[in-house]
Amino acid sequence: MITPHLRLSDISLTYDTGLTALNAIHADFAPGSFTALVGPSGCGKSSLLRVLAGLQPPSSGTLTAIESNDIGFVFQEPTLLAWKSAAENIALPLRISGLGRAEIDRRIDAALRLVGLQARADALPRQLSGGMKMRVSLARALAKQPPVLLMDEPFAALDELTRFRLDDDLRAIWHQTGCTIIFVTHSVTEAAYLAERALVMGPGHIKTELQIEQSGRGDDFRSTAAFHRACADISAALGAQGVM
Amino acid sequence: MAKLKWLLPLGLGVALLSLWELAVRSAGIPVFVLPPPSGICVALLENGAALGGSLLVTLKITALAFFWAVLGGVGLAIVFTRARLIELALYPYVVTLQVTPVVAIAPLILIWVGFDNVDRALIIIAWIVAFFPMLTNSVQGLRSIDPQLHDLMTLSGASWSQRLLYLELPAALPAILTGAKISGGLALIGAVVAEFVAGSGASTGLAWRIIEAGNRLEIALMFAALALLSVLGIALFYALSLMEYLMLRRWHESYQR
Repeated sequence: MITPHLRLSDISLTYDTGLTALNAIHADFAPGSFTALVGPSGCGKSSLLRVLAGLQPPSSGTLTAIESNDIGFVFQEPTLLAWKSAAENIALPLRISGLGRAEIDRRIDAALRLVGLQARADALPRQLSGGMKMRVSLARALAKQPPVLLMDEPFAALDELTRFRLDDDLRAIWHQTGCTIIFVTHSVTEAAYLAERALVMGPGHIKTELQIEQSGRGDDFRSTAAFHRACADISAALGAQGVM
Repeated sequence: MAKLKWLLPLGLGVALLSLWELAVRSAGIPVFVLPPPSGICVALLENGAALGGSLLVTLKITALAFFWAVLGGVGLAIVFTRARLIELALYPYVVTLQVTPVVAIAPLILIWVGFDNVDRALIIIAWIVAFFPMLTNSVQGLRSIDPQLHDLMTLSGASWSQRLLYLELPAALPAILTGAKISGGLALIGAVVAEFVAGSGASTGLAWRIIEAGNRLEIALMFAALALLSVLGIALFYALSLMEYLMLRRWHESYQR
């Protein structure tokens, strides 16, 4: 797996409506890094993610082009086909990219194991809870074995306990796969817990870049001083628009 | 409760028919004004073969008009959702076709097409009636797809046929089937209108039987043909409902209770 070094230089995005979503953004994402894009609603973090994914061409500026096959994208909603089982949903992008039946089956198994849903492979989305649907969505992105995983507030709609569990699982998956993760969130605590680095956004621009202490990190990271310091730093950077 | 769903309408029907029979007999209403239900049954049995043949003719016109309405409606809806310019150019004419009373266009169609091939003219007339709800419902279904699902297809590198097959058609299926239920009933109405306009000698369907029987004051036969038309309409509706049930019950919200 060749993980590209993602670079955005001088990216601006103005929609047809005249709304400027992004204003001269510079950012750098090292291979295998885990970055959180934090900011209040409407600051352009989702737009930035869509530009990175190639879903939205920027009005100006340049960025590293990534093959769509090299991107795993996890949306805000599970975004599953209601008429397909969990396994078939995971298989869809693989079938479109023309992989063989055996390889697809192998990858479905692996992806379901990564998200802990082997037992529900044949369930339809309506038979799954919100957290499980999100897991299927994550598995679908992972099954492509993408070097880059882009996530757009994927756990925002879930209850806190489910979110904590998925946060932990995502950290484990990141360690296991070594992919570059860019995770959009409006939650300060989620950004501080998940990422190595937080890019704090204001309206249309990146205000600050913060490194989050990773050394000696254990299971109880949420109760450590390092975590609270990271939360405080991100909150301070968000300033008056601070959102928890 | 489940039994009541059948028993109540059935009981009401039997009661009304009995009342009709009694009223006609006791008031001495002549059969050429209002025949009793028993008289209609007799007419139905006596003319069984002829009426059955007419039923098949009307069914054939209805089915073909419906088939082309589904094919054309879904097909044009796909074109419309893919090519905005074509939609902008074509839509006013489609609406014109819909709002112009078909009875008014029918004579023209009969003149243009009907001399050589009456059936084809009848199918075209019925098609005009049935086509529009098929188109609008399909467009609605195709337009209502979650944009994130479209993003997913884009990120997967889906070709336009893969997008159509994996996402658009199944996602629009509930709306398409709703359109089909409306369109199926309208195809029958269109077929009857077409037969009426074509007049006797040109067509041999159930509507023509009704006109013929009316001209001869064979009111019982008229009712018999009318009853068969109703049965045809009901059968069509329930067949389409059954199809909808079979295709959607596994996954669609409307069947989850």
